[in-house]
Amino acid sequence: MHLPFNRAQPEIMHIDLNSCFATVEQQARPMLRNRPVGVTNRKSAFSCIIAASYEAKALGVRVGMRADEALKLAPGIVIVETDPPKYHYVYQKLVAIMRSYSPEVTMKSIDEGIIDFNGTRQYLNARPLRDIGMEIKQRLKDEVGCWMKCNIGIGPNRFLAKQAASLHKPDGLDIIDYSNLRSTLATLSLTDLTGIAERNQARLNAVGIYTPLQFLDASSETLHRLVFHSICGDDWYQKLRGWEVDKHESQTRSVGRQYVLEDSHLSLEAVNSRLAYLCETTGVKLRYKNLCARGIMVYARYDSGDYWYNRKMFKTTFYSNAEIYRRAILVFNRRPGGNDVREIGVTCYGLEPSKENQVSLLDEVNKERWLSDAIDSINQQYGEFTLTFASSFTSRSIVKQKIPFGGTQYFDLLCSS
Amino acid sequence: MEDVITLNEDVTIVAYYFKDKDQPKCFPKRMEYNGKQVIFTETGLRHPTRKGQRMVHVFDMTDGNADYRLEFDAMSLAWKLVYIADASYAPTF
Repeated sequence: MHLPFNRAQPEIMHIDLNSCFATVEQQARPMLRNRPVGVTNRKSAFSCIIAASYEAKALGVRVGMRADEALKLAPGIVIVETDPPKYHYVYQKLVAIMRSYSPEVTMKSIDEGIIDFNGTRQYLNARPLRDIGMEIKQRLKDEVGCWMKCNIGIGPNRFLAKQAASLHKPDGLDIIDYSNLRSTLATLSLTDLTGIAERNQARLNAVGIYTPLQFLDASSETLHRLVFHSICGDDWYQKLRGWEVDKHESQTRSVGRQYVLEDSHLSLEAVNSRLAYLCETTGVKLRYKNLCARGIMVYARYDSGDYWYNRKMFKTTFYSNAEIYRRAILVFNRRPGGNDVREIGVTCYGLEPSKENQVSLLDEVNKERWLSDAIDSINQQYGEFTLTFASSFTSRSIVKQKIPFGGTQYFDLLCSS
Repeated sequence: MEDVITLNEDVTIVAYYFKDKDQPKCFPKRMEYNGKQVIFTETGLRHPTRKGQRMVHVFDMTDGNADYRLEFDAMSLAWKLVYIADASYAPTF
C-alpha cells in the first residue's frame, strides 16, 4: 500500500477537558483553586488518584498513584472523593456545546469527545475551525464556570486531532495538517504518540524506528509484516498520514461489575452479600441496554494474588436480578476454599436483544418479567435500591457506585438516582 | 487531608432569582444557621441531581473563607446545608 498525506482541510476537532475531575472540583469549590488536589474513588490511604490538578502534577503527583504516596510527595494536597453527579452535569454541558456545532459528535469518554465537521461545515459553520475552537473554550467558561479549561486539537483524522490536543496542555488549541505534520512529529518522541507505549516502542525500536518521523517514513509492509504482524500496521500507516481508520462503532459484548472488598477476611455471608449487590447493578445495566444474557462469568482474586474464574453458558436467557444472582452463586460456589477473597466480579456475556415485547406462553416467565419491571419502576420512582435483596441490603451503603472510565454508555444511568 | 464538617441540617437562605441571557438563575446570598450569618460571594457550580423522582439542586458556594454545599429540594422548597469544607476558616456555629 502506498498513500500520500491527506491534503484535505482538517475537519475533525478533538476536545479534552484538562484534568477533568480535579478541575471540576476546583470549579465547584473556589477554595481549592491554585492548590494541589487529588481525586480518589474512596477516601482511604490506599485508594488510587484518578485525577490530579495541574498544581499537584507540578509536585510530581501522577494519576494511578496511591493517596498515601501522593501525600508524601505533596503534603499539602487535598484529597477529595469523586462526585459523579457533578461530573455528569459538566459532561452534559460539554455535549450540549459540542452538539450545537455539528450533529456528528462522538464522546470518547467522560472528559473527551470529537466533533466531525465533514459534510456539515459549509452549511452550519463556515467559520475557520480555530475560531470555533476559541468560542467553545469561552462557552465552557461562560456556561460551566470560569475555572474550566479544555485542550482542543484539530486534524484531518481522529488520531491527529487527538495528538494536536495533547501538544500544549493546559488550555491549548493546535492544528495538525499536511503542512505541519512533519515539523510537529519532529518535536515528539514515540511514546508521545497516542497508542504507543513501552511495548509498541520496543517493537518499533526492534526494526530501527526510533522517532515519529522514522515511523511516518516506514512503509506499510514494514509496519504490517515486521512491526505489528497484523492489520494494525496498515492502520498506523494510514493514521499517521491523516486518513481516517478509527471511525467505527463498538458493540456491547459483556456487562458486569467488580468490587475490591473492603476487608479480605469478610465472612462468607458478607462476601455473598457483596456478590448479590454486584448482580443487582449488573441486572440494572443489562435492562438499561435492553439486553438479556446467556452466559455468566464470576471471578475472585485472593490476598495471595491467586486469581480464579469460572464461566457457564445456559440454554435460556436471563435478565432479572434474581436470575443473575442465582446463576452467579452457582458458579461462585465452585471456587477453591479459603476466605481471603480480595476482589470479586461478575460479568454477563452471550448478550442478545431483550425479548420483553414477546409475551411468553409460560405463566412463570411472565410473572418473573412483571416482578422485575415492577421493582425497576419502584426504584426509578424512589431512588435506586429502594427495593433490593435482603441479602445485599448491608452492601448498599458500603459498595458505592463509582465513575466508569472509558465509555460513557452507563453514565446517564449511574447518575440518575 | 482537608477539614470537612458534614452537617445535613436545614438552614434559612435568602436567595436572588433573576434571568441571565433568558436563563433563570438563582444565587443564594445569605445563610442563617444556628444564629450565625454567612454571606456568599461566589457560586462554584450549580448542578441538578435526582433523588428518586425528586429534583434537588446542589449549590457549591463560597464566602471567600470556606466552601459550602447547599441543597435546594425543588419539591419541598427547603434548603439544606450539607457540608462545610475548609471549615477551620468558617464562622464557628
